[in-house]
Amino acid sequence: MYQPPSLLEKWSQENNELVNKCKQQEAGGGAVSQDHRQSSLRWCSSEFHKLLRKIQGIPPHVDHSQLELAVVYNTCVCFTAQSQFSEAELLLKEATERVLQVTGNNADTSDPLVLWRAGLKSAGNTALHPHVLYLLCLQWALWLAKCQLENIGELQEQMSSLCEIVCDGVGDGSPSEAKGRLSKSPLLVMEPKRLTELLQICTSIAQGAEKLNEGRSSEALSDLQAASALPATRALVAYTHLLSGSCLAHMNRPQMALQCYKKALETDSRCVCALYRSMLIYRQLGNTQAEIQALRLLHSTLMLPPATEPVLGGIQPLSPSLLLSSQSLSRLLSVPSALSVLYSLALKCVLSGRVTEGVEHYLDLLAALHSEDQHAVDAEVSVLPRMPELYLEAGTALLFTRRPADCMAFCNEVISTTLELVPEKVVLEEPEEGIGGDARGLSVEGEDKVAMLLWAAAAYLVQGHCHAHLKDWKQAVTHYTRCINLLVKVHLKNRDFQPQIPAADVNVKHGKDLCTLQRMKGLSLAWRGISFTQMDQLREALRDLQLSLQAFPDYTGAGLWCGEVLWRLGRKHEAAACWEKTWSLTTQTSVERYLILW
Amino acid sequence: MEGRCAVETWAQFGFSGGSYKVKILCGFGTDVLICTGTEEIYVFSKRERKITTVLLLPAAVNDLVGNQDKQLIYVACRSGVYRVNLQFLLHRDQSSQADASSSPAELKISQECLVVGADEVSSLLLVGSVLLTLCQRDASWLLTLYKTPKQTASTSHKEFGSFNLPVVSAVDCGAAESNRGPRKGSVLICIHSGDVEASSPSNASAESTVAQDHFHLEPLLFKLLFGVEAALAKSPVILCGLPDGRLCFLPLRLPGSCLRVLHSLEQPVCFVGASVVTETGHAQCLVAAGEQGRVALIKTDKAGPEGGSAVAAFTEGCVPGPVWCGCMDKSCFYYSTGADLLRLDLLEGSFARESKERGEETSGMTAAALQSPSSLNVCRVIALAEPACSTAAGDVQLLGVSARGQLQRICLPAGRVDEGSSKLPSTQVSRSVRDLLSAIGDVCERASVLKTVIKSKNQFLRLLNHAVSVSFLLMADTTTDLPIKEKPIRCHFETSWSRLLQKDSLSLVCFLHNSSPFVLERGWMLSITVSPLSYSSSPAGESSSTNFSFPFHDLRPGQTFEASLPIAAAGDASFPMTVSCSLIFSLSSLLGEEEVAASFAGLQSSCISLPLSTLTVDWLHALQLNSPTATHKMATVQPSSAAADSIQTFLSSRQLRCSGRTNRGGESAAKPEPEKYSASVWVSSEIVRDTLKPKKSSNLDAKESIRDPEDLCLSLLERLLSEDTEGVKMGCQGDKIALSTSVAHARGPNGAAMKLSVKEINVGEEESTDKEATIEVQIESSSLAAVCGLHHAVLRRIQTLLQSATEKAASTKNVQILGLRRALQRAEIQQSQISGAFGEVVSTVQRDRLLLSVYQELRRNPLLIV
Repeated sequence: MYQPPSLLEKWSQENNELVNKCKQQEAGGGAVSQDHRQSSLRWCSSEFHKLLRKIQGIPPHVDHSQLELAVVYNTCVCFTAQSQFSEAELLLKEATERVLQVTGNNADTSDPLVLWRAGLKSAGNTALHPHVLYLLCLQWALWLAKCQLENIGELQEQMSSLCEIVCDGVGDGSPSEAKGRLSKSPLLVMEPKRLTELLQICTSIAQGAEKLNEGRSSEALSDLQAASALPATRALVAYTHLLSGSCLAHMNRPQMALQCYKKALETDSRCVCALYRSMLIYRQLGNTQAEIQALRLLHSTLMLPPATEPVLGGIQPLSPSLLLSSQSLSRLLSVPSALSVLYSLALKCVLSGRVTEGVEHYLDLLAALHSEDQHAVDAEVSVLPRMPELYLEAGTALLFTRRPADCMAFCNEVISTTLELVPEKVVLEEPEEGIGGDARGLSVEGEDKVAMLLWAAAAYLVQGHCHAHLKDWKQAVTHYTRCINLLVKVHLKNRDFQPQIPAADVNVKHGKDLCTLQRMKGLSLAWRGISFTQMDQLREALRDLQLSLQAFPDYTGAGLWCGEVLWRLGRKHEAAACWEKTWSLTTQTSVERYLILW
Repeated sequence: MEGRCAVETWAQFGFSGGSYKVKILCGFGTDVLICTGTEEIYVFSKRERKITTVLLLPAAVNDLVGNQDKQLIYVACRSGVYRVNLQFLLHRDQSSQADASSSPAELKISQECLVVGADEVSSLLLVGSVLLTLCQRDASWLLTLYKTPKQTASTSHKEFGSFNLPVVSAVDCGAAESNRGPRKGSVLICIHSGDVEASSPSNASAESTVAQDHFHLEPLLFKLLFGVEAALAKSPVILCGLPDGRLCFLPLRLPGSCLRVLHSLEQPVCFVGASVVTETGHAQCLVAAGEQGRVALIKTDKAGPEGGSAVAAFTEGCVPGPVWCGCMDKSCFYYSTGADLLRLDLLEGSFARESKERGEETSGMTAAALQSPSSLNVCRVIALAEPACSTAAGDVQLLGVSARGQLQRICLPAGRVDEGSSKLPSTQVSRSVRDLLSAIGDVCERASVLKTVIKSKNQFLRLLNHAVSVSFLLMADTTTDLPIKEKPIRCHFETSWSRLLQKDSLSLVCFLHNSSPFVLERGWMLSITVSPLSYSSSPAGESSSTNFSFPFHDLRPGQTFEASLPIAAAGDASFPMTVSCSLIFSLSSLLGEEEVAASFAGLQSSCISLPLSTLTVDWLHALQLNSPTATHKMATVQPSSAAADSIQTFLSSRQLRCSGRTNRGGESAAKPEPEKYSASVWVSSEIVRDTLKPKKSSNLDAKESIRDPEDLCLSLLERLLSEDTEGVKMGCQGDKIALSTSVAHARGPNGAAMKLSVKEINVGEEESTDKEATIEVQIESSSLAAVCGLHHAVLRRIQTLLQSATEKAASTKNVQILGLRRALQRAEIQQSQISGAFGEVVSTVQRDRLLLSVYQELRRNPLLIV
């Protein structure tokens, strides 16, 4: 039966052409930049929208409805891909209402859930039914993208039946029949089956993350493990493994969690988050070697150029990242920046005795910081220490690897930067309870000054160590003296305040400053004493060592050397007493940073 | 020409100085690029001294930056950022120049050059390979970083970071809009720590050609302002000045850094730069200038407040004038206020610091330096730039764009101002002293002018205050309705006949008594409007009222103002007439016309008019009484008609009396002779006695006199003729003529002789017991108009008489008063008909008929007032 080319045919032809153009651009889109892709998407969506307005210009009619719904689908896919969710949602709502009009039902509700139920029911077993289902898929995608998981839960049974119908529908019947049906029906930008699959796994991931966030780990775990069997791209499957691992880690099963992370990595080698999470578990387990290994891998992975975009988005306009935008998930997937990973690596290496390696990492880090390509990009709070501290740590690491000259260069840098800004006198206030607003304002100002002074002093101290290392005792004494001179500029505000060294309760910043100050005083005095001892100036040495013990009694080195000096001075009883006392001290405190200093 | 600037106009381009952001970009060899806020960018070649190329962009240009090494410029348009390869363009330009030499080549920049598709980028900055854009998005300022490609061929500019700063409510946008100067967006500059450049060779080339928006700051100041970390990271710092007055900084290469506020000028920032360059090439002073002239100088203060380390000293001050644009050289800040180009020497302050130890004095000195920028006498400069090449002699050359669209080279004289002043020749000294003296004279003159203006304004305000008080007083009067005697400002009138040039004329004398506490001064005047009571006489509708006004000159409290105005010559006035007087205050007479026009445009014609009183001058007021002795004398002098009238009066009076007897019940009798008319009013003698009693009782032993009917009639007549009704009083005649009889002969204002007689008669049925004693007031005249007028007047008098007795009046009397009022109205109508009859030019027959009807009507209305 011949029919003259009607409007309907013209429109469906137009739709099909547009879809083909879209698909061509998508297919050839591997090399094209993100910008280009966006602009072509924009063009497509506007074209589809134009067509849709033409079709919707006439009252809804059964003959047109199929085409109309297909165009709505295409338009909505384009809109969603550009994150224009509200526009897409509006189109869907209008389309459902028109469906209801066609089937002779009246829609007098604005609640989307009710509307959808009514729409599905009225479409019933007509030819429209699959198309309405496709639209429901899109609605699902929109809810997922907007993290409205509860809506999805509401329509759970519709969704599951939808999955069955959509996934089975195409495979159902003989291929020729299906082909014939397809050739008649208008083309779609994205295959509904693929969309449904994508939605299923993304929903599982999002729900899993949500549950994990709420502490329902075991529940989430079973869901996620079920989801990992779903057909999906590697990256998404890797996410399910990763989240399973997180659930297990949360349930205090680190080894099983590690297995999961490993599976995730095996599935998708770019899953840096799995690496990061494993590193955290190694750290938790105290497996330093593995932790270092993981950190190194993590860093090198992060440093890889993000050259090729994951292929998963290649053909589909809707990318998983669009659908997985929930807060709890992004928190679970977040990975620190390459620089902070590198810093952790360097610090870990030095602390675990792999100093040479650590030094290399420190130098890499500093080079990266100074490179032209480094820019203050990451807005998140950096986990890096402040620059002078970084310099000092690097310098100390260099000294450990017997490169005192390089170390001194670093220290010189710090000194030249900070020394000019060190005030003549710094008042360090006792951390009191009732700090008024005024005092606080002052202390913020003063805090930086104290930090400046401590940095400069620490730099001198390390330089002194360098000279001591070179057995240039005279120079060492000079630098230790400079350090001490700086340190005595700090005045404690409360005179009768007894500086107590215990590092246990140093939560307050000033307490920490004070602790550091005392420790540095102790160290510098002790080492000047040691240097004097080396130069056979025993009296000065004894004075310094005793002062050091006063300032920082926990430092066993001072006690031992003090005994030594006393012994040499012939005060053997005192020496013995000193040694005895020193041994009796159980020194277990390990304060990370300044232990590195010596 | 010592101490003067040489301005040389290099080029003129079609551009009208609007509120655009104009920018001059130097450093491309001999080319200078000028963007004027329109779609065009002009390329001016210094070598050829002309505009060689015009670049045409798709949208208006906001900002322009260049990369000298690669000969690239980035242009921020409304629609995005475009990259233009100058080398390529200029080569093409040169090749095309062979044929077309004179006119500049026009090059259209196509959409292909678009590298960043961000809208409304207000500022651009290029730091190494990073392109920074600053734009306002909704409620925040957005600083975005783009990576420029190494190869110039590639166009991809990858965004790799952006920083937000919330917008605060703009500082006084209105003022900024109204400012006619060029509109400023934001300022972006880059600050390098001084010691960094030496070590990193990559920037050495950029340093050699001093970039306009890159500055090298002394390391200590850099550390103080931007922190140790930025210094250790050797990071350049981006400094941006925003239209809301904030000065923000961002260490570019420090991980985790964010945009922070360094300072706030509290007015749109229009220039940020660094100056006071030492031998090492490090600037010691950071300068930020706001649009309205606030300048912040940021320096290192070596001696901190508490004897501690160095601190950054912020010195704020205001320089005169709006700052339209600015530029810096090694020691000075140049800026244009539009009216002048000014130079601020920043070295002075720093020298002072070295000589003096204390910090306060330093800031004082710097602030003083801020106060006194030296003028360079170049006006209307809207954009400034310092070209890289300065002549060896130490001259400073600036490039400027004037508001008229001229590219100018401004050569400043060598040597600083203070050095010049120390060795000025004596002639110049004397000249400058003369200048100063004349300036002082000018100021003095102006001050005295201002003083008088203030004085007159005060005076004016005082007068206005008086005016308001007086009007308040009078307004209060109208509401409270005080009796006329108690009003603070009141007036009364007297009529008097005078004889001038053998012609009698009636004049009205107005007495205004000021018993208010205010002086009626300049600006006040008394306005008296005289208009006939009956208006029908003027058929064409023209108002026959006359207006007199008398300005006051200081009528002090308690004083009385007297004004006499002629009402009518004998025979040509229509009585009764209404006299309304009001006080008028006019601004224009106070200030002078032009001043009012200038300052009170809306008020120009209006003045305040405060009505004082309105009263009626009637026939009784206008009567000229004849004493019996004087009648003959008068008759000889009077025109014959008047004499004849008097005779007739005499004759007719007798006849009337007879007729009165014959026709009792009727109030008047018609005589066979038509010339004689009479009318009469009857009033119950009881009432008359009652009403007149209070007056008489004071000076006479009243009982007897009032009982006597003869006395009663006499006193009524007296009362009628001389009584002060509603503030109008008949003039002195009343006193002169002692009324001996109850008959008064008079001449009306129209010259007609008339007789007014009062006698007691008895009306009512003779046989009835309650015979009412009645007083008849009879009016007789040969002139109908006179009879009517006088009748009306008598009725009015009697009405007021009765009103004054209303306290005693019973309800019956009220009815009679009503009747009286009706009669009065009727009389007024008749009056108008008569004057209509005389006024209109109609045939005598018609007139007679009219008059006759009036007369008959008069007769039909008997009136007895009981």
